[in-house]
Amino acid sequence: MSQDAIQVSKTPDKKKPAVKEVNNKNKEKKPVVKAEDVIKEIKAIKNGPKALKLYMEMCAKCGTCSSVCPVYYGKADKKYNPVERSDLIRSIYKKHCTVTGKFLGGVVGARDYMEGELEEWAEHFYTCTGCRRCATYCPFGIDNSVITRKGRGIVDKLGLTPETMQRVVQISLETRNTDGASPEAFKAAIDFLEEEMKDEHGVDINIPVDQVGAEYFYVPPSGDVLVNSEATTGVAKVFYALGMQDKWTMSSKCFDGANYGLFTGNDADMKADNKPYVEEAKKLECKVLFMGECGHAYRVMKMMMEPGKWWGDLPFKIMNCMEFTADKIKAGKLQFDKSKNPQPVTYHDPCNFGRSCDITEEPRIILEASCEDFREMYPNRGENWCCGGGAGLSAMDDLFDFRMNVSGKKKLDQVRATGAKYVAAACSNCKRQLSQLMEHHKEDIAVGGVHDMLSRSILINGKAAERVEY
Amino acid sequence: MNVYALFIGGILPYLAILVFLGGMIYRFYVWFKTPQPGKMTLFPAPSSLAGGVISEFFFFPSLFRGDKVLWVFSWVFHVTLALVFLGHIRVLTGLIDSILMSMGVSDEGINWMSGTLGGAAGIVLLATGILLLIRRLVLNRVREISGVPDFFALLLIVAIIVTGDLMRFGAHFDLEQTRVWAGSLVSFSPVVPKSAMFQVHVLLAILLIMYIPFSKIMHLGGFFFTNALVKRR
Repeated sequence: MSQDAIQVSKTPDKKKPAVKEVNNKNKEKKPVVKAEDVIKEIKAIKNGPKALKLYMEMCAKCGTCSSVCPVYYGKADKKYNPVERSDLIRSIYKKHCTVTGKFLGGVVGARDYMEGELEEWAEHFYTCTGCRRCATYCPFGIDNSVITRKGRGIVDKLGLTPETMQRVVQISLETRNTDGASPEAFKAAIDFLEEEMKDEHGVDINIPVDQVGAEYFYVPPSGDVLVNSEATTGVAKVFYALGMQDKWTMSSKCFDGANYGLFTGNDADMKADNKPYVEEAKKLECKVLFMGECGHAYRVMKMMMEPGKWWGDLPFKIMNCMEFTADKIKAGKLQFDKSKNPQPVTYHDPCNFGRSCDITEEPRIILEASCEDFREMYPNRGENWCCGGGAGLSAMDDLFDFRMNVSGKKKLDQVRATGAKYVAAACSNCKRQLSQLMEHHKEDIAVGGVHDMLSRSILINGKAAERVEY
Repeated sequence: MNVYALFIGGILPYLAILVFLGGMIYRFYVWFKTPQPGKMTLFPAPSSLAGGVISEFFFFPSLFRGDKVLWVFSWVFHVTLALVFLGHIRVLTGLIDSILMSMGVSDEGINWMSGTLGGAAGIVLLATGILLLIRRLVLNRVREISGVPDFFALLLIVAIIVTGDLMRFGAHFDLEQTRVWAGSLVSFSPVVPKSAMFQVHVLLAILLIMYIPFSKIMHLGGFFFTNALVKRR
């Protein structure tokens, strides 16, 4: 998550670390793209992955996707129609890889790559939020986000990834976190959070760092430590309340699960970004890789890295912090003073948690336990609308207008309809998009995480945090 | 029997079967062996993969939640198409008749079913086919993504329905001769009925059958592959 995310908790930011300057190799000059390189990439789809190959060969063009797409809802422009975007690749695939395309060409919608087109692709494939809502309603389950990711991958391979996005990838690969924060800066932030919790509760609630042999290795998005830190204090308080202070740890080197290789379509970057975390988990001898409130980070670990056996069999389990907390709440092990959260609160299902990872009930259990007035947003869970900043768009300031007025339009309507004064989202990308959306459209609605609400109302030694201002 | 009739009714059917079966088997084989790394489950996922895909196959629940109007057009269209397919097996072979008779349905009963159910199906199929065509033309979001193959497939099917309906409701249709034709194809000594409408209907149907493995109509098979990817837990 980018450093300048709007601060929801009014935590003083005096100890916020400065972004490390990273030299940008991509800045130099626009590379020359050869048509045959693009065509080679597209022809390779013939050999898989299976999903992509099928999507190239069997869309019936029924148009259902466009009626459920947040971007097309925001603006019914042909270039935002999911089929039109996917056809950028599909039409070239047809030309080179199908019988009808080879013989009939344009009549069946096949065409060749046009010189200079890839610059436009860089724009088009960064107007899809990768939310997978189209796949939920498509009668064939065609997931346009897979085609988007392929398109971005080709754009990336030929050096045309938008600079705002490439910068995050590079910072993350060089510093292991998307904020470019150093271990020292991280430790300073942790000290600050511990002081803050001492002020709130009058006791020492630790956030262990680099503790070898701790059972749970907590990996949040870095924003949950550096920007909207209440999610992390919430997790710390859960462990404290359970008497498990010494059972968990964070790492001063690996404290950001965000993985922008997923968003640029570059598998090598995605794996390079992922590897240090798996190695760190092994080094810390943890039993559970305890992922924080970050949808795509959890998805990369749980749905891609683990089943795909990127690094072989793992000596630890992968779990989300919301699963853990919800379990403890169900078991009656955590108590709350709901009056600390009297305002109406709603939950936005991040696409990566809801549609892609089946984490939908856990955040609701936590919010219902810690808030007086929890209300649903409709539709929700697997059918929820994207915040409008998915697939990394949220971090791209050059897409601000698009995100505020096109891709986020439906979300704004949805949030307004709930009457809530606080939107909880278990995702740093969603949080940034949502808070910008609320501010831009002059809505007095706060945005934050799930454990944030818990942090304000959980009882520590019988008492909730003493704080009035947030 | 003139040379055109022999070509349409006596040669093309064999070619159609070869092209169709060869094409389908090849496409399925290639899809089947293409590798898929990682998982791409969409939640909420059905508790069993087979259950999820089967209910999707019969009732189109995803489409129902996404676009109710298209669901009505499309579901009725496909179900009627399946009924008409069964009707054609009855017309071409005696199989359905003997099954119905063994269930105690009388000759009159079978004729009634053919006339009333078959007639209704012919009309409903034509109506939904035309509605799908109109939808494609009228809705901006669908028209802007439609190309020649999308209209061609629909128009070809509508043309087959129209010639079929014309035979059913217009000129006299000779069931006996049609069964003789089907039987003669099996014994490799084709005898083609003289009706011009019949010949046009058969020609269009054969075009469609040969076109299927190379067209968007392959969604009838790809359906299982793509749904299995997102519905597997």
